[in-house]
Amino acid sequence: MDTSRSYLEPSSFSKKIAAAIIIVYTVITLIPISWMVMTSFKNVDSAISYPPEVLFEPSLEGYVNLFTNRSRQSAEYLDSLPAPDTWYEELVRSREMVITGPSKFLGRYSNSMIIGFGSTFASVFLGALAAYAFSRFRVPLKDDLLFFILSTRMFPPIAVAVPIFIMYRKIGLGDTHLGMIILYTVVNLSLAVWLLKGFMDEIPKEYEEAAMIDGYSRLQAFFKVVLPQAMTGIAATAIFCMIFSWNEYAFAVLLTQFNAQTAPPFIPTIIGEGGLDWPAIGAGTTLFLLPVMIFTIILRKHLLRGITFGAVRK
Amino acid sequence: MSVKKKFKGLSDKAVGWLFIGPTVLLLLAINIYPLIYAIKMSFTNFYANKIGRVPEFVGLKNYIKILNKEAIWEKMQVTASFMFWTLLLQAVIGLGLALLLNKKFKGNELLTTLIVLPMMLSPAVVGVFWTYLYNPQVGLFNYVVNFFYDFGSFDMIGSSILAPWSIVIVDTWMWTPFTMLICLAGLRSVPNYLYEAAEVDRASKWQQFIYITLPSVLPFLLLALLFRGIENFKMFDMVVELTSGGPGSATELASINLKREAFEKWKTGYSSAFAVILFVTIFGFGNVYVKVMNKIKER
Repeated sequence: MDTSRSYLEPSSFSKKIAAAIIIVYTVITLIPISWMVMTSFKNVDSAISYPPEVLFEPSLEGYVNLFTNRSRQSAEYLDSLPAPDTWYEELVRSREMVITGPSKFLGRYSNSMIIGFGSTFASVFLGALAAYAFSRFRVPLKDDLLFFILSTRMFPPIAVAVPIFIMYRKIGLGDTHLGMIILYTVVNLSLAVWLLKGFMDEIPKEYEEAAMIDGYSRLQAFFKVVLPQAMTGIAATAIFCMIFSWNEYAFAVLLTQFNAQTAPPFIPTIIGEGGLDWPAIGAGTTLFLLPVMIFTIILRKHLLRGITFGAVRK
Repeated sequence: MSVKKKFKGLSDKAVGWLFIGPTVLLLLAINIYPLIYAIKMSFTNFYANKIGRVPEFVGLKNYIKILNKEAIWEKMQVTASFMFWTLLLQAVIGLGLALLLNKKFKGNELLTTLIVLPMMLSPAVVGVFWTYLYNPQVGLFNYVVNFFYDFGSFDMIGSSILAPWSIVIVDTWMWTPFTMLICLAGLRSVPNYLYEAAEVDRASKWQQFIYITLPSVLPFLLLALLFRGIENFKMFDMVVELTSGGPGSATELASINLKREAFEKWKTGYSSAFAVILFVTIFGFGNVYVKVMNKIKER
């Protein structure tokens, strides 16, 4: 008999149809990302050719343009220069330009790193402490406090950006790494507390009780027994916090300008001659998105939990 | 006989406060204080760029001005239609993908991970590279559309009719995996015995879908839409980089308008009042939605 009536064991035919549709969707959904990565390896001319080139001669022009500032020079001046020392100088010269110095990209990228790691560490550390207390102790108004922590996530960033802008200006935190680290820590705290509470609820109480009977204090039991047990959860939470800080744009564009600006507000401003320099933007995008894609693959088992603040666990 | 102190070290109560204290203090300082400050400013005619000028108390004037302003209602309409279409498309496509993935064919875990990639990317950077895809002269999007049907040259971002759809398409591309993942969790939470019982009763596949699958997945879908609704009401980064609210104000969502008033015109008092209105709206709708959602869950 035909078993295709069963929901639990779909027939191999319906499985095949489902797989085919999903594969088509996957390919379509990945085209924009792949296109950007491809564009990063095109030269400026091939990036603006129509019809769009699928097969092209790879070039590192985008990456060279991303990391350097260049200026156009006359042919006579270029001829008077000594021969270029490096391949990237040669590439720039072939466009009748010379390198005038490094671009801001590296600085913006490392700002993203510093602020990302700093705020991730702080929010996971503080979040782990609070999550443990919420998980194990009878805290007065526990549910209200937890909801309060979650509700801070609902504020539109722009709504609090003005007061924070004024406040930061007063106490000298405007456009500083520390200011951005504190800000992102706070935004991430709600996620960290909610996720880590879920992970800590899953660690049996008996572990630390046994340790305390053996003479550990509550603090020792927390640091030496509970934290190591919660390591997977902590790592997953940390990656989520990192991704958020890495991707954040609204606060970065409103509160930073020169010193502490991160990469997301910077990438759109990469301009070449006659408009946006698409290979360079592609290169910046590729270098910027790569870490997040790797993180996503590492996180895949915890994704659902992370994106729903632990509301859905699987 | 009661033993007051069973273990060495600090009491549990002290540890509890020590652990929760810093988090609550930080949230009060960087979230609640600015919010109260914003509420206070919303009753004044404060301009943050005019240092030294003492702001005056103007009562409810800012609020009255905003609620009577036609342009604000236009922004709200733009926001509402953006939310309607993105949530609808993401619900339908997300649920559809989840149903297909739930057939547990070979390799579906790998495909799930790949499908999820767009939603983890930086929305601002996504906005930037979609301007390239949408480019009327060289864009891939236009090429593909013209490949299937020859529309000739069209400008997704530059046309005030197409621009609202350009942001709907990008948001749907980016966030459909979100509803998909949550629906998938819902589908996997349905206990097998329900289907087994239905098969014993000779329920058709269609009946099983309507009476078992759909009701079980609905709470999950509603939860996903709540998250997306809140996020899209606040939507700023992707749209700023893609259309920056244009052309004209065709895609000027409420939060983009708020940014213009607050950080370009520096009308701090006025924009604070607008921020408070937006916050109250999102909070109010959110609460009603959660109540409805819980009612549906109880059924």
